[in-house]
Amino acid sequence: MGKSSLVSATAVNPIGDVRRSDLLSWITTTDHKRIGILYLLTSLAYFGIAGILAMLIRTQLARPENTFVTSHEYAQLFTLHGTAMIFLFVAPFALGLANFLIPLQIGAADMAFPRLNATSYWLFFFGGLVVFLGAATNEGAAASGWSAYPPLSEIKVSTGLGQDLWIVGVFLVSVATILTSINFVTTVFIYRAPGMTMWRIPIFTWEMVATSLLIFMAFPSLAATLLLLFVDRHFGGHAFDPAYGGDPVLWQHLFWFFGHPEVYVMILPYFGVISEIIPVFSRKPIFGYTGLVLAAFAIAGLSMGVWAHHMFTTGFVNNPFFSFVSFLIAVPTGVKFFNWIATMWRGSITFETPMLFAIGFLLNFLIGGITGVMISSPPIDYQAHDSYFVVAHFHYVLGGGSLFAIFAALFFWWPKMFGVKLNERLGTWCFWLLFIGFNVTFLPMHFMGIFGMPRRVFTYAAGGPLPILNLIATCGSYVMCVGVLLFVYNAIVSARARDPVPNDPWGANSLEWWTTSPPPEHNFDSLPPIRSERPVYDAR
Amino acid sequence: MTVGLRLFLSSAAFGIVISIAYWFTSREIVGTFLLGVMAFALCFVAGYMIVAEREADLVGDDRDATNASAAGELVGTYTIRSPLPLGAAFAITAVAVGIVISPTIAILALVATLAFGALFIIQSR
Repeated sequence: MGKSSLVSATAVNPIGDVRRSDLLSWITTTDHKRIGILYLLTSLAYFGIAGILAMLIRTQLARPENTFVTSHEYAQLFTLHGTAMIFLFVAPFALGLANFLIPLQIGAADMAFPRLNATSYWLFFFGGLVVFLGAATNEGAAASGWSAYPPLSEIKVSTGLGQDLWIVGVFLVSVATILTSINFVTTVFIYRAPGMTMWRIPIFTWEMVATSLLIFMAFPSLAATLLLLFVDRHFGGHAFDPAYGGDPVLWQHLFWFFGHPEVYVMILPYFGVISEIIPVFSRKPIFGYTGLVLAAFAIAGLSMGVWAHHMFTTGFVNNPFFSFVSFLIAVPTGVKFFNWIATMWRGSITFETPMLFAIGFLLNFLIGGITGVMISSPPIDYQAHDSYFVVAHFHYVLGGGSLFAIFAALFFWWPKMFGVKLNERLGTWCFWLLFIGFNVTFLPMHFMGIFGMPRRVFTYAAGGPLPILNLIATCGSYVMCVGVLLFVYNAIVSARARDPVPNDPWGANSLEWWTTSPPPEHNFDSLPPIRSERPVYDAR
Repeated sequence: MTVGLRLFLSSAAFGIVISIAYWFTSREIVGTFLLGVMAFALCFVAGYMIVAEREADLVGDDRDATNASAAGELVGTYTIRSPLPLGAAFAITAVAVGIVISPTIAILALVATLAFGALFIIQSR
């Protein structure tokens, strides 16, 4: 529990060196780098569980009229899969990355509130466990989908303990997320190094400021909504029960007021990751730094005004308003794409694994973005709503987009975190398996949706094009699984090889590459003069 | 005016504008209320920052600052290890789960949460 001044010089061991005696120091740590790594490892573990659930889902759907799981088990599978991917993996992974990177990128010694930071991590950790704990109860886990629409989530339908544990778990995770975002904004505003003005901080840090702002605005709505649902279930409330004057559409308003900004909470940090990686492997400064920052805030702002595009078909919302604002988001997103392509334009591009994943991100996210614009149009949304077309769309955004950026980030910052580089050859194989597997899995889902396959239904009739499309998608998911396992193997092989890496193995630009790999506990022994957004490049 | 303050002021202005625009285009109460609360919260933070910034003099905001500019500055101390976050988070989780499964657990966990809160305060002094 001892306090250490900034001049403490104890180096942090690489993860591969964790000894039993170190375990206590890890679970009591308040060092932002270790908390970041704990966040990353925990969210990857939850991703592993979510991946297994996805494989079970795809196995069930591989054949028509399959009985591998029952309809109720299937509902639990997709509920836990969605919950784990959204609340426990994609968003928290970004928080972990930001925990590790933000103080390093702005030249700070730690986060503004280290103990609050650790508390947030443990709330997230326990919240995730509580969500999964539901699966061990008599009636199984929650089965009302990750969006938990009443009346499905009300006590009349979901009588089991699993739904309550889901509410409690997600509530804890949402509180943890709010606390972490407060920490991020305070750290960036207050703890920047001398000369590190706001217009010199790296794009990733900017994106995390925008993300934190979104979290402030959106997550309280989720927390309040979950409380209302809990009161409905156990304390005689009727907020969502029309028999007593409640309104299920109110849930949709409150939930999607959080839910759509949450999509951007899950994508803005990864825009930042891509903005860090592309310039490094194009050997050029980022094109349009200011434009990228302003586009991030334009996306964040507009995303607060689009929630009801998830509710077009209810007939209770102003479709033209929400359609127009949804279309508008394409403009700043297009600005970002333009800037990334302009950065690569005539650059000396090299195709190391992080760059491969970054390019994979661009290609996949483009498809997800375009189908997003399509379903922003109410006439198309009326046709596609609750079909596999929507499933394909959001998987292209969050799987093809965020997931590829996550792997790009892992390969890019792994040397900084653990002091060893991941194997490039295995990394290239990992990329191609994931890229091919992803597209084989999710591209056919667009056609399934067009042919009328509804989401969240555990089987489908034989005949027509659906059986072959589903079989192709299932094969693709197995290929993706091999790609993920190859990454795990790569991590083990690289940890055993223990080839030390220099401070800056990529020839990168931002401040985290100035310090050792991994950084010491106090982050920096010295800082270079900071006169631009590329201080390490300037100092070379 | 710092970038941070400008950020919150412009966000607050955006919140007010979109709340008004939404009301006049939709006449829908729930959405207007949500946007209004968001705008109010942003105005509150912006107001707080206007007050707080009067005291602010950060080397990070000085374009020409060097390491020497911050030399000798007391930037505080950092707790590098503490069991309190783990204990507090566990206690808070137990309160929440206890409400679902057992009021006794919830009450005991609430006492533990308050104790951890007190320890946080004591350690922060």
